Amino acid sequence: MLKRKHEESSKREHNPYRRRILFFLLLGWALLLLGDRVSELRVYQGALIAIYALAIGSLILLTGYSGQLSLGQGAFMAIGAYAAALTQIYLQPPIIITFISAVVVAALFGAIIGGGAARLSGPYLAGTTLALALGLPTLANLFSFLGGETGLYFDVGIAPERFGSEFTLYKWFFWIAALATLIMLFFIQNILKSRYGRAWKAGRSNPAAAQLVGLHVGRRKVLAFTISAGVAGLAGALLGMVSLVAPSTFTLSLSFAIITGAVLAGLTSLTGSILGGLVLVIIPEIAEMVSGNFGESEAVRANIPGLITGLLLILTVLFTPNGPAEQWRHHQEKKKQKALEKQKN
Amino acid sequence: MIGSFRKKGLVAASAIVAIAGLALSAVPAQAAEVGVTATSIKIGTTVPLTGIAGPGYAKVAPAMKAYFDYVNANGGINGRKIEFIIKDDRYLPPVSVEKTNELILKDKVFATVGQLGTANNLAINSRVRLGSRGVPSLFVNTGFSGFADKKKFPTLFPLFSSYRMEAKIMGGYIKENFAGKKIGLIYQNDDFGADALKGFESAGVKFDVSIPYVSGTQGAATATTWIQKLAAAKVEVVYIFGVTTATAAAVGVAFAAGYKPQWIFGSVGADATTIVGQTTVPVALLNGALSMSFMPDAADTTDEYVKFFREVNTTYNNNATFDNNIMAGMNGAMMVAQALKAAGPNPTRKGLIAAIESKGSTFASAGYPPIGFSATSRVGYTGFWIGKYNQTGSLIPVEAKGTIYTTDSANGPVVKTTSKRPALPTKGLPN
Amino acid sequence: MQQVINVFLIGISIGSIYALMSLALVLVWRSTRVVNFAQAGQAIVTTYVAWEVVNRSGSFLMAFIVVVAIGGLIGGLVESGMMRTLFKHASDGPVASVAPVIATLGLLGVIRALVGLIWTNEGKRFESPVSTAGFVIGDTTLPFSRLNLLIICTAAFVMIVFSIVFQRTNLGLALRAAAYNPEIARLSGVKVAMTRTIGWVFAGAAGAVAGILLSPNDSLTPYSLDVLFVFGFVAAVVGGLESLVGAVVGGLVLGVGLSFITFYLGTSLVFPTAFIVLVVVLLVRPSGLFGVKGARSA
Repeated sequence: MLKRKHEESSKREHNPYRRRILFFLLLGWALLLLGDRVSELRVYQGALIAIYALAIGSLILLTGYSGQLSLGQGAFMAIGAYAAALTQIYLQPPIIITFISAVVVAALFGAIIGGGAARLSGPYLAGTTLALALGLPTLANLFSFLGGETGLYFDVGIAPERFGSEFTLYKWFFWIAALATLIMLFFIQNILKSRYGRAWKAGRSNPAAAQLVGLHVGRRKVLAFTISAGVAGLAGALLGMVSLVAPSTFTLSLSFAIITGAVLAGLTSLTGSILGGLVLVIIPEIAEMVSGNFGESEAVRANIPGLITGLLLILTVLFTPNGPAEQWRHHQEKKKQKALEKQKN
Repeated sequence: MIGSFRKKGLVAASAIVAIAGLALSAVPAQAAEVGVTATSIKIGTTVPLTGIAGPGYAKVAPAMKAYFDYVNANGGINGRKIEFIIKDDRYLPPVSVEKTNELILKDKVFATVGQLGTANNLAINSRVRLGSRGVPSLFVNTGFSGFADKKKFPTLFPLFSSYRMEAKIMGGYIKENFAGKKIGLIYQNDDFGADALKGFESAGVKFDVSIPYVSGTQGAATATTWIQKLAAAKVEVVYIFGVTTATAAAVGVAFAAGYKPQWIFGSVGADATTIVGQTTVPVALLNGALSMSFMPDAADTTDEYVKFFREVNTTYNNNATFDNNIMAGMNGAMMVAQALKAAGPNPTRKGLIAAIESKGSTFASAGYPPIGFSATSRVGYTGFWIGKYNQTGSLIPVEAKGTIYTTDSANGPVVKTTSKRPALPTKGLPN
Repeated sequence: MQQVINVFLIGISIGSIYALMSLALVLVWRSTRVVNFAQAGQAIVTTYVAWEVVNRSGSFLMAFIVVVAIGGLIGGLVESGMMRTLFKHASDGPVASVAPVIATLGLLGVIRALVGLIWTNEGKRFESPVSTAGFVIGDTTLPFSRLNLLIICTAAFVMIVFSIVFQRTNLGLALRAAAYNPEIARLSGVKVAMTRTIGWVFAGAAGAVAGILLSPNDSLTPYSLDVLFVFGFVAAVVGGLESLVGAVVGGLVLGVGLSFITFYLGTSLVFPTAFIVLVVVLLVRPSGLFGVKGARSA
């Protein structure tokens, strides 16, 4: 009996892997098409969606699966961005090396901070990462090679010649961002569904039991931090590519926005991260519309996004703590169960 | 079995769709010039309406709008109304980039005008690549000398006399009038302040105490450290080169601490109305402080330009409290209107740039120094007059009215001359 | 030597404000085991209200009273409204441990946005009730002004009131008992739910005082108090989240320390220093200077 179950489970592991590859390939194709049909503004926003989705993914990796809440993803994004910028400015390597260095440096910091943070939990961790998010970007003002408030600007160059002259700058950014995001999300999804992911889940829900079964909860926590930081670092580098590598790019509001996106996505669901990214980009659009109705008031335009974000956070965590998608699925399952029971009777 | 077949079918289908999509995708050709219709020209700007530089600078863009409204009420430019979009960038370069993207990609403006901030404009031009997109950026609200580089910024026209010029001229004045005294400098630690440092170098001025500060940190706490350092070193002359909130903080803290040096305010942060609005300093305490400007002081109602702008302000700007920020805004708007007119009845972006190169030096404006635009030069105003604040916060020239000092943004000499400013055009409209 | 005294005095002044915020955070922690990330948000609302009161009536004292009352009210409302609902709904699942953090963060965002909508994001000048000119002794002017003195006195007054309530009254006894062991407290007839709310009420009042004392020095914007929250949190951790005395001591120590750093090394090092202090304390002595061991994990 046990043997058959084992066979079945290994078969199940094969197919999801292939299915996952296919899903991501199709998604990539769809994005390729989309990128060609829409205006440069939408492509620019598309790049932002990809970047947010990646950042949200990094937080989901950390929180949803290992139970640690970090308020400081913005800080790791900043580290990645500065690493990328400095690499590009001083070494001028091929773009891919630039981004790899962003991941590596951010992951390194993640390991260091994770090492310290592994012993913290709950609000202590939250408060510490909050201090990190506020304090780290200000370091840029200490050392002049970090560019201060003016920031650093790094250039991934314009699109290769063979794409033609119609291939705009932001479309090129979109391609890079979307590709990086897809690859990374695929990678994360694999981890989450693997042995490590399951260990994290166990460590989160019942540390004592997990420890008894032989899972090194502490070490896994550090690993989660490291990988999460690396992914956030890549998101930060991409953001630096599209915007500017300066302290004011990586504000506390950014960290909050990512948390909101993650909570909306359902802190445990990775597929929701793309949706989360979409929501984050839509909110300022909504703000524009609303402020238009109030006579173009700057106060309205500047504050509506914060209002919407805050309300979404509160409502989501109060009533659908696992994210609206998960809640809905839960609801559907309950309905099915009730229907089944009725049938039995 | 069926499952894998379906999968293969799906893959094939998407491949076909993808290829077809690539083949069919094409961007439609442009009809008229971007931002120009038969009845309107759309232009935009990014300025700090809120944030650390909000006080004072928030008035610049609405003042520009007031002037454009006046022009529209009097027939517009070559029959077109000017549509002016203002975006708040909070003086933060990443936000400037984001808002400029909106202006160009979403609002599709013909040109940007009067974008404010040194770091902001540097970020915009490098990231959004206004140059390679061919988008003109007219009369930016900053005095950074680097913007006069035509190769780096092919579509950008500065206007202000540069910070280098300012520092050089005032440096010379300091050497003449404060020789032997201890001098101190407070400056914003970025390209804005660095430009001034180069000017001081050209003038051969060395400061006894030099205090850089990070943009955004200028508040009472930071200012306290500045004043403590300066007072401890017994500095007698203090030059502060920062935005208005920095000047206000320094003056406010110094007043509370009983420290009374000879103040010199960099032109950018020198508007008396704003400073007083930000501190508890009575305006009489600014009496005797030195500063420079290239325009008449906002309180000088004998000046024809000031009179005219005040009238426009009353009617079209809700009678806001008139100050030097409003002056700067309207002056810049007047230059923009003349540029748009010079671009002719069928304006194109390239045509606009060519028009400014050929005719820009003859445009009428409130500025006293000559304008240096030509086919080879992107330098706007080329000098300043030096003034002293009186009891009521007005800046009074220390020499005869119209006496200006002109120089360049390199190591050229400072020349004292008399201004030959063009008269105000009829009704203040471009002719 | 003169400089050192100056810097120290300024440090005590700002430190007492941190102490108040830290006190607020510790009160909330002790009563509901939650770090209220919206504490600064609550304080910013009350500070804007104070600004309105000062503008209309000219009386700082009236503003102070109003603010304490409203601060307490808001604190109580947030706890009995949002937090209780939260504890009912989100008590299990992967989000449970982080739910309070997220909820209070959301509240912070909402409050900040509402404040910005009502009063706009432009900086407002908050007139100081007393002179900000430094005291003159002989021919030197200290950087320490009447305002600094007022801050220290007010903060001390609040803390004394609190300590009287907590140590000498039955209410205080009930609060301490409920925080220490809710089950036994309930058996003794203490209304535990009510004490939770009261904890938040006191915290709201303390935070409101911190906000109103901080503002006369700088311009008031919806973001002015973010920094106060971070430093209040660091102070609370340094002193020990379990200890009210620790909160106060932590605040003062932090204020003085940061004052020295600002003067001798510049403002850019303030945040990194605070962060390093936080991390070191959490690693070396997580329960803080005055805390009881073993109280760190939620």
